[in-house]
Amino acid sequence: MARFNVETPQNAEISRKIPCEKPPLVQLEIMERYTEAHRASTGESRFIREIRCLRVLYPALFREMEAGDLLAGRLDFLPIGFGCVTSVGGVGHYCVFAKLKAFRETLPEAERGRVDALYNYWLDEDLKSKYCRDMLSGDTVGPFIDCDYPLIVTARLSGMMLDYRKLLRLGIGGLRAELEAGLRRDPANDFYRGSLECLDLFAECADHLREAVERRALDAAPERQAELALIAGSLRRIREEAPETFHQALQLLWLYALLAGVINYGRLDDVLGPFLVQDMEQGILSEDGAFDILSSFWTLIENRRTTVNGRVVVGGRGRKNPREADVFLRLALRVAASSRYVEPQFTLRFDETLPPDIWDTAMDVLAQGATYPTLYNDAVNVPAVQYGMRVDEEAAEQYVPFGCTEFVIQGQSTGTPNVCMNLLKILTVTLNGGIDPMDGKRKNGSVTIPPPEALTSFEELYGTYKKLLDYYMDISVQAQLHSFKVMNDEVGFLFTSILMDDCIARGRALLDGGVRYLGGTNETYGNINASDSLWAIKHLVYDTGKYRLRELCEAAGANFSGYEKIRRDLLDCDKYGNDLDTADGMAVDLYNYVAQGVRDRGIREGMQYFLIVISNNQVNTEWGRRTAASLDGRLAGQYMNPANNPQGGADISGPTAMLNSLAKFDPRYHAGSVQNFKLTPRMFRKNRPQVNALFRTYFKRGGCHLMVTVVDRGVLEDAAAHPEKYPNLLVRVSGFSAVFVHLAPDIQREVMSRMLYDS
Amino acid sequence: MIPDEVLVLEVERFAIHDGPGIRTVVFFQGCPLRCPWCANPESQEGRPQLLHVVNRCTGCLRCTAACPHGAVSAEGPLPRFDRDRCAAHCEALRPAAGPGFSGRPPCVEACPAGALRVAGKLMKTGAILDLVMRDKDYYDASGGGVTFSGGEPFAQAPALLRLLQGARERGLHTAVESAGQIPSADLAAAEPFIDCFLLDIKHAGPERLTAVTGADPGMTGAALDWLGRRCPGKVTARVPVIPGFNDDETSLRDIFHLALDRGIRSLELLPYHTLGRDKYRQLGRSCPWPVETMGDPADLALPAGWGRDMGLSITVR
Repeated sequence: MARFNVETPQNAEISRKIPCEKPPLVQLEIMERYTEAHRASTGESRFIREIRCLRVLYPALFREMEAGDLLAGRLDFLPIGFGCVTSVGGVGHYCVFAKLKAFRETLPEAERGRVDALYNYWLDEDLKSKYCRDMLSGDTVGPFIDCDYPLIVTARLSGMMLDYRKLLRLGIGGLRAELEAGLRRDPANDFYRGSLECLDLFAECADHLREAVERRALDAAPERQAELALIAGSLRRIREEAPETFHQALQLLWLYALLAGVINYGRLDDVLGPFLVQDMEQGILSEDGAFDILSSFWTLIENRRTTVNGRVVVGGRGRKNPREADVFLRLALRVAASSRYVEPQFTLRFDETLPPDIWDTAMDVLAQGATYPTLYNDAVNVPAVQYGMRVDEEAAEQYVPFGCTEFVIQGQSTGTPNVCMNLLKILTVTLNGGIDPMDGKRKNGSVTIPPPEALTSFEELYGTYKKLLDYYMDISVQAQLHSFKVMNDEVGFLFTSILMDDCIARGRALLDGGVRYLGGTNETYGNINASDSLWAIKHLVYDTGKYRLRELCEAAGANFSGYEKIRRDLLDCDKYGNDLDTADGMAVDLYNYVAQGVRDRGIREGMQYFLIVISNNQVNTEWGRRTAASLDGRLAGQYMNPANNPQGGADISGPTAMLNSLAKFDPRYHAGSVQNFKLTPRMFRKNRPQVNALFRTYFKRGGCHLMVTVVDRGVLEDAAAHPEKYPNLLVRVSGFSAVFVHLAPDIQREVMSRMLYDS
Repeated sequence: MIPDEVLVLEVERFAIHDGPGIRTVVFFQGCPLRCPWCANPESQEGRPQLLHVVNRCTGCLRCTAACPHGAVSAEGPLPRFDRDRCAAHCEALRPAAGPGFSGRPPCVEACPAGALRVAGKLMKTGAILDLVMRDKDYYDASGGGVTFSGGEPFAQAPALLRLLQGARERGLHTAVESAGQIPSADLAAAEPFIDCFLLDIKHAGPERLTAVTGADPGMTGAALDWLGRRCPGKVTARVPVIPGFNDDETSLRDIFHLALDRGIRSLELLPYHTLGRDKYRQLGRSCPWPVETMGDPADLALPAGWGRDMGLSITVR
């Protein structure tokens, strides 16, 4: 059994969570009851166990509504419970040990033993720990997020985007009818049975919330009473019946998402637009009224504080109701502009048919520094998804970015990134005879790594690196598959399964053969540092003979101390991001090897797709801290390049060159690749036509995506020095937005290091 | 120098101030004028220039040992460069070193801090055009193109002509920024391939112009006259507003008249800036123009008003 620290932080957590409103002893009791329900259902089917445990959590974990809420449903979560993702609670039947330990300290001394009992029970039962015990090995494969390893793995079900169209069309009652029909066909099917109980639980929760709303109405001001009556009415309706109004539809969607534990919402314009337009046309909802409701929805999403999630996607191809959807889209742009939250991650898909006013408004919102909308180019992404995920065009049109950028097909596929590979660390191991210079540990697995002096040609060096990449890619696909197996052994993710094709039709849970497209993603890091290093080696060692490889490796081994000249020469080599065939060519070659290698392995192992994503939330900095000096001139411990962008300061040829470099990778082999762009408000204000032409041309040339931060020169530096002055300054990190002053100092430095374009 | 090669200071992509739309600007090295406020003094001489970025210098003095010509000596903690010796002996600082010459001066090669660099290199016209063409899509989307600037592009007139013809063949919109000291034959040969002239008019008084900038007023005047007769609509006059030189009402009005009399209606006022001052230091020179405060574009609103009243279309940059 592999030894690992169960208390390792499991995900990036930048936004500060809202504390649980229940007193500690009440929290403890809930966790004890949960644990008891789990223990008592040993031997039952996992579906029955799941619903029994869910019944402990809900409605108990609902919070009181806040004064301005126009929709009901706020949840607490505890260190022990049930979930899909690490951002809210944990995965399956989970225990977040570090948080449980911290919780223990909030209790009176006499009660702490009760926590210890829970801790010990869950050591054996926590889903993610079970997975880690199976998968972690030696010094090569580590848990999320332990940056000493070249490959880190986890079990989670990130990025599920449910079929809300079906939910709103059928209502809970309609879903119930489908499940009952299934059960009649297959009376022994526990998946149907458990799912039906989930719908009962949904109704109970709707009733619970409605009663709470009605209680509040008793002493509310008259104006608020009207709002509460609206909410109560919607809850009464949606407990069983399909929604008829915009408010009912949004309430149903929100409550379902909460109970399913999903934190990305997908193409809401297309599913909610028709309700919105109908209400407005019938005069039961004004635009301002709709704005208020949607603003409240935005706040509820923000308050979940999932940091890198909360995707609301608008626009793009394949919408059933484009006219109505665009009404929602325009309203959502207004809300995004006024709210200035880090979540929801407001995402605009578009192609050449996008109405010009929407583009202009989107640019206006970005110019104000909202960091939203983040832009996805359907003209590139739809055909890329079609090929990459091996689906037809109709399915590909339903792609949605979740989390930091990973694509799934809404209502039809999984795409959770359960493995991450550090390409740069693997290169430093290759150049050091199989040993990681950072900690002196051997990390070459079963691959023989000759010493640098034995690598007499670039092809030999690159070939050796590729062998080690192969080794890690082989493990990565096994790790991904095993995460599905462990999750499926333990749970059904019933709420999620109900709204995912083809679980009900097949009578099977999501990971039990239910989901139509079983996909996954592999996050790669340090891609550009690795390719820039390879280029520098090729140029300085094998092409010009200026240095021997051994010399360069020794210099890196000393973190260039005493080798400043070598470092200068490494830094002076061509770098990715300048539209140069040399360095960009190397970046594309390495990308092709890894992206195709990962994809081929996924197909070989029977997955619908297994694709790399280049998203790099902030792990590029965290993993950089534990990655040795590299031959692109980067120092040991320094951040690695963000996402698909050059290392900060390496792109010196202007924005067209940088964007041309970004657009060189074949998008068919990734499931999302983040492209950051930072410019000043002055540039946006004074040169809007040129900025427009810049972005549009980039997209026309094959750019798949762009995330724009608009910030003044000097502001980030000032904010780093005087955080108290900038409580609301938003920046795009890579695949998520954050309040700048909440970021760790070296992550702030990484964001500051990126090129800022000014006029 | 054969006309297939150009001594180039820099190629700047996504330039949005030197002609319409998104452009690539090719900065030629070498200029017959010596404007004392010059923002790019390293562009004046027609050969590569060694720049010493003092605030990057660690004072390791490896450059002194590296120079085989004895041109670098220690002066306290920092190196001192005998520029004449560099120019006379250093192979890498000669324009004739040729394209593809990858040798850097030994002092630059030895510097671990990146405090030394060479400004200026010979480039093949074909390579320049290939580089320019990489952003063709951006020009097409924005009404942009290529701008040849400097230095003085007409100081390398045969190569400029070759570049202009090449740009025309590739369907590029072309602009040339010039101080106007152009032999008439060169101007006549190039004009058909130029869509937009950005023509400096620094002063309307020939004596003052010559005294301060070293320009040949006969030649600049003739060029202006010729362009006025031939294609005034292609010309945008550019006036750097220099405190103490031409920022008084009379001087500016005279410049406006000069432009209008030649049929030129488009004029840009460029506020004085001090961004070049540090480069003099990097070149081992002191900046000859004494004004150290940046000009404020807002101060140019008034003169812009005079010009507009006279019938000019004025932009303040």
